[in-house]
Amino acid sequence: MKNNFTLTIGWLYPELMNIYGDRGNVTVLQKRCEWRQIATKVLRLEVGFRENELEKCDIILMGGAQDKQQEAVAKDLFAKATVLNTAIEKGIPGIYVCGAYQMLGNYYKEANGNKIKGLRIFDFYTESPEQDGKRLIGNIVTYSEKLNYRLIGFENHGGRTYLGKKIEPLGKVVKGFGNNGIDKTEGILYKNSIGTYLHGPLLPKNPLLTDYLIKQALEIKYQTKVPLKTLDDNLENQAREAIAKRLSVAI
Amino acid sequence: MLNSLIIFFCKIISNISKALNLGHGSTWPGHIALKLNPHFINQLLNNSDTKVILITGTNGKTTTAKLLQTILETNSKRVTLNSSGANLLNGIASALIVSSNLQGNLSEDFAIFEVDENTLPQITKTIEPDYIIALNLFRDQLDRYGEIDTIAKKWKEAYTKLTKALFILNADDPQIAYLGDGLKNTHYFGLNSKGNNVEEHAADSILCPKCGKRLTFATHYFSHLGDWSCLSCGLKRPEREIQNDIFLPLSGTYAIYDIQAAALVAKLIGLTKEQVNQGLKKFQPAFGRQELLKIAGKNIQLFLSKNPTSFNESLRAIAEKDANNLLIILNDRIPDGTDVSWIWDIDFETLIKKSMNLYLAGDRVYDLALRIKYSLETQKYEIFENLEDAIYIATAKLNPNETLYILPTYSAMLEVRKILTGKKIL
Repeated sequence: MKNNFTLTIGWLYPELMNIYGDRGNVTVLQKRCEWRQIATKVLRLEVGFRENELEKCDIILMGGAQDKQQEAVAKDLFAKATVLNTAIEKGIPGIYVCGAYQMLGNYYKEANGNKIKGLRIFDFYTESPEQDGKRLIGNIVTYSEKLNYRLIGFENHGGRTYLGKKIEPLGKVVKGFGNNGIDKTEGILYKNSIGTYLHGPLLPKNPLLTDYLIKQALEIKYQTKVPLKTLDDNLENQAREAIAKRLSVAI
Repeated sequence: MLNSLIIFFCKIISNISKALNLGHGSTWPGHIALKLNPHFINQLLNNSDTKVILITGTNGKTTTAKLLQTILETNSKRVTLNSSGANLLNGIASALIVSSNLQGNLSEDFAIFEVDENTLPQITKTIEPDYIIALNLFRDQLDRYGEIDTIAKKWKEAYTKLTKALFILNADDPQIAYLGDGLKNTHYFGLNSKGNNVEEHAADSILCPKCGKRLTFATHYFSHLGDWSCLSCGLKRPEREIQNDIFLPLSGTYAIYDIQAAALVAKLIGLTKEQVNQGLKKFQPAFGRQELLKIAGKNIQLFLSKNPTSFNESLRAIAEKDANNLLIILNDRIPDGTDVSWIWDIDFETLIKKSMNLYLAGDRVYDLALRIKYSLETQKYEIFENLEDAIYIATAKLNPNETLYILPTYSAMLEVRKILTGKKIL
């Protein structure tokens, strides 16, 4: 089947925000498009990128980083928050993992009480645990009601995120810690934007989510529903089952 | 309690534990000694003329320790070292118990200790080294070690408190080189080969360690190692003391750093180039690090690969050997790191030859297979849930004179050795 669909994947700060294998999300999106003859173009948006490049993106991805890198990025992204917000409001699918997720909230409160301002795109805040507080680390399974699908990943975060009243979580924790280890919520879902602590990376073991993002991106860009060819996901499902079995949960 | 009594007591424990094959023989006696006398290590070392060499860094500690040991022993120096994996204080105390006599005297000329990244600050509080080598800092087991900026910061604090040590530092790694900023007695090693102008994906330290601005690289070796400078604050790669014309007993660019570091320390100790080369020619790889094994007439070579950088470098090293048979084993146990997302930072796309016979195994074999599926579509591979089957089948399929290259994570490396040699390490 030949078609003329093209998706532009905007990868925010690949050079600095890439610490938890998040490059895998880009690879998986590209491949699952290519295997359906949907062309992809990856825009690497490094510090100093032009705002109109972000406007061209049909899908946006951003990963986590170390503190110093994150500071450099925050400075750059603050100046472009309006454009990012417009894309998010338009329903441009996006995945914001870990440090990127935290950056989109209201603020991040450090252990010493210092508050780092967030982009305030989503209504939530994050607090660092008390000095020497435990990081929340391990394999995690959550349930997304929207997709009726269990999301599998790995989390490793010190910050505890608390959602405001108007924002929906991405999933409910089945096994693991989630946003804060207490309220069983994980991540946020707003229109087609996802904030989450799940890396692993997120997309390889959650093909249904990947395909959902591709579908939404195509629909927004071409203003019509595009049916996606079914792919052989045997290996993906075996990988999911292996983790589910280990954690003694169903998928 | 008198140290001689502690040593007597702990030597017995050490022997019993070895005789009964209880394991932990390399940490238990030290653990008990430190419980009985928290100043045990300090007192023993202060009481002797033994010079202490500490080695730290993400990759290459064990190999560098063994290189230096071989060079020194070849030149009639007596050396003790802690066994790999026993790189906390209890492992160091255990090594001292084994090598001291019952009066608590150490007769060794040198004690070489490899030190875990996280425990270095704690160890330098107890031990004042004569030489301290910092090899590199790469992302590694983020669930266990955390971020490398945090480690670098702790190291810098620890280094400034040392008064008599000579600092041997990798000039090509910005974070490591910056450790020497403001310190006396610094000596820098590095690579003297041609680099390239491609920046790798898994480059961690590309911001200036001093001012936080983006670094400029005139040349890249691998990861973030290269000829770097900061156009903003002027910090740049320091002058290096490269040891030319030295024998290279290991393959791969990454191994040259270990060899350069060991050779530089040997020179500072007073050995000539000839003496260094005599030692290097006698060198045998540390277990699992390019170690060659011959099983039923077939050749197997192990390349411990534990993080994106070491994995990329292993893939490059076996490509130089024109490898056709590769078994990759991915475990996610505590010594490996429980987070396997780092496999997506490996450059499989460019570093694996499509015609290669590829075998996959380990606790997370399906994650590994997914990584391969999405990086090399036409690549054929076999998945094994059972490691013995993987090794058996991969070896059986070898043509005569071919080698099976195995890239295992740490615990997988121990498993492979146990299967192949019947011996359990640790």
